[in-house]
Amino acid sequence: MLNSYLPAIVFLLLGGVVGTAFALMNGIFGPKTNRRSASKTSPYECGLPSDVQQGFRFGISFYMIAMLFILFDIEVIFLYPIAVKLKEFGAFALVETSIFVALLFVGFGYVWRRGALSWR
Amino acid sequence: MNIGWYLAVSTIIFAIGAAGVLTKRNALVILLCLELMLNAANLALVAFSRMWGNGDGQIFAIIVMVVAACEVTVGLGLIVAIHRRGLVVDADELSELRG
Amino acid sequence: MIAAIKAPLIDWSALAPFTSLTVGAVVVLIAGLVGSARLRSWLVPGLALVTLAVTAVELLSRWNHPKVIVSEALRVDNLTVTLGLLCVGAAAFAVILSLRSDTEEGVGRGEYHSLLLFTTIGMLILIAANDLVTIFVGLELLSIPLYVLCATELRREHSLEAGLKYLIVGSVGSATLLYGLALIYGATGSTSLPKIGVAISDTGALTDPLLLAGMALAIAGLSFKASAAPFHQWTPDVYEGAPTPVTTFMATATKAAALGILLRILVGPLLPAVDDWAPVIAVIATLSIVVGNFGALGQDSLKRMLAWSSVAQVGYLLAGLVVATSLGIGALVFYLVVYAVMTLAAFAVVIENERTSDDGERLSGFAGLGRRRPWLAGAMTVSMLSLAGLPPTGGFIGKLAIINADASGGWMWLAIVLVLGSLVSLGYYLRVIATMWMTEGSAEKTPVVKQAREIVAVALLAAAVTIAAGVLPSWPLERAQDVGQTVISSR
Repeated sequence: MLNSYLPAIVFLLLGGVVGTAFALMNGIFGPKTNRRSASKTSPYECGLPSDVQQGFRFGISFYMIAMLFILFDIEVIFLYPIAVKLKEFGAFALVETSIFVALLFVGFGYVWRRGALSWR
Repeated sequence: MNIGWYLAVSTIIFAIGAAGVLTKRNALVILLCLELMLNAANLALVAFSRMWGNGDGQIFAIIVMVVAACEVTVGLGLIVAIHRRGLVVDADELSELRG
Repeated sequence: MIAAIKAPLIDWSALAPFTSLTVGAVVVLIAGLVGSARLRSWLVPGLALVTLAVTAVELLSRWNHPKVIVSEALRVDNLTVTLGLLCVGAAAFAVILSLRSDTEEGVGRGEYHSLLLFTTIGMLILIAANDLVTIFVGLELLSIPLYVLCATELRREHSLEAGLKYLIVGSVGSATLLYGLALIYGATGSTSLPKIGVAISDTGALTDPLLLAGMALAIAGLSFKASAAPFHQWTPDVYEGAPTPVTTFMATATKAAALGILLRILVGPLLPAVDDWAPVIAVIATLSIVVGNFGALGQDSLKRMLAWSSVAQVGYLLAGLVVATSLGIGALVFYLVVYAVMTLAAFAVVIENERTSDDGERLSGFAGLGRRRPWLAGAMTVSMLSLAGLPPTGGFIGKLAIINADASGGWMWLAIVLVLGSLVSLGYYLRVIATMWMTEGSAEKTPVVKQAREIVAVALLAAAVTIAAGVLPSWPLERAQDVGQTVISSR
């Protein structure tokens, strides 16, 4: 009984060791002296020095729109399998897609009505 | 095709994610590590799907992607809310007291 | 090559509980946007309750009509009906218990109740899942709204932290479960539970390390959700930080859903591998009983104490799962229902005490409650006695049934662990009772807020049901055996 678990345990242990190693290697091999150096605390790693001041805060609308974008953006992935097999699906695809998009619109209407899209 | 290599890569990614969740302190980095764990599972699903020659795993992976996005959005929302309350987004300081 | 893909045949009557809940959740969400705040304050909870009532009736009508629906994605059988009713009931009581709280005012009534309904749909889907994909979707639909619900008490900063903490730990659990499901799919080549069962019993998949690793990861992932040790560390913090009605809902319904699907996977397709998973579950059960009972000792916060005690209770429940017979499953289902009812009573009392006094959630806030409000203290006493497993309560019968199943299934040592754990638990359950009846309250606290009749009613009702289950256990026990029978025979 325990014998049959041996491969599973080895598998998990191996995974744990490798994972911890990767997580720790950063600290071992990375430069240790300047943990909070200027380049590390700056908003961008390269390019022109930014004009953004320390105390600057993004408005909440930035986050709102970004998060809503993630959601509505990724939902489109459900259309992908239908697009691939459109011919085989036939009329079923049309009905299915319409219902799906209609549901998305309900969500969109809610977000709009709740005022999440107005810029503050 | 040899499934072993795909599985090995996916296990390593999963383990990196799991170890990161346990060791990292910044809530944003923890969210990234959670994504790693989910995407490791996705890799395994797609590889298995190829191995068995059926589409079940691919459909599963697509659904996982959407769910992962929802999870991350809620996580980001909570982090923004905590940030706006002037609290620290540091997992160590989040846990008030254990036990 | 072009073979038209036919639309799946959908049995709308069997799907009705799911559709009505979904429609209700959307309607409630929209209703939260219209009208004045005054109108919303009764319209939104009212609509939520109507939705839940309709769903309960639809679920009841499916009793003894097992059916597999939507391309074998969902299985509506007696287990689905029983645990589904439990979750729907828990959601309804959560709505009632939060009628007077002002927490949802900050986040919006529509959102609060809609999230509650969406969580309930997730639970129904999870319990009814007949496919790995459905399991994952159900679990996430259960979890994601709960993360938000935990964070809704905006005036307490603990609440937001509880939400984020639960999100992180819960997502680790989900990801672990998902990886486990992926490996199970890899070992068997199918996501459908019955086909996985066929693949396991017909081919040599049983000794496949992939399957065993997948099984271990899936068990670990679901243990996170059920807060079984050693995956329980988040429980006290989250239970304490979340709004108490949400904690009530989590403590009852989430556990039921997680244990339901664990039951469905392990006693379903994975039954041939019983010799592999039973020891693992037994170890988790023992750990939960030990860790939960010792963790609860000496807790001053009632919510934290109930959180630790819920870890121990999951241990008792898993002890019923170890015996993969209809006897064990029947005992598990019976105890699960009783556990939900007695926990509901305890949390209702905590909510009412929280409303009427400043330190109502601490043990000190319960001092002299027996004199101030004997009915409330009475309900709490019944709940504590039942949680401790003393007669004449449902908790006693439930534990007896599990011990009986363990003893007859060759798990005598687990039954002994269960009894010893219960003895330890007397230490903290009786402490609450003693505090309520034997100590004086510090200064006579004049209740500033009016007493909430509906919360007291919920507490008394739950206490009455707990006693009824202890005095007349034969009918519910037989129904629970029915459920156990259908689970065993459906594979």
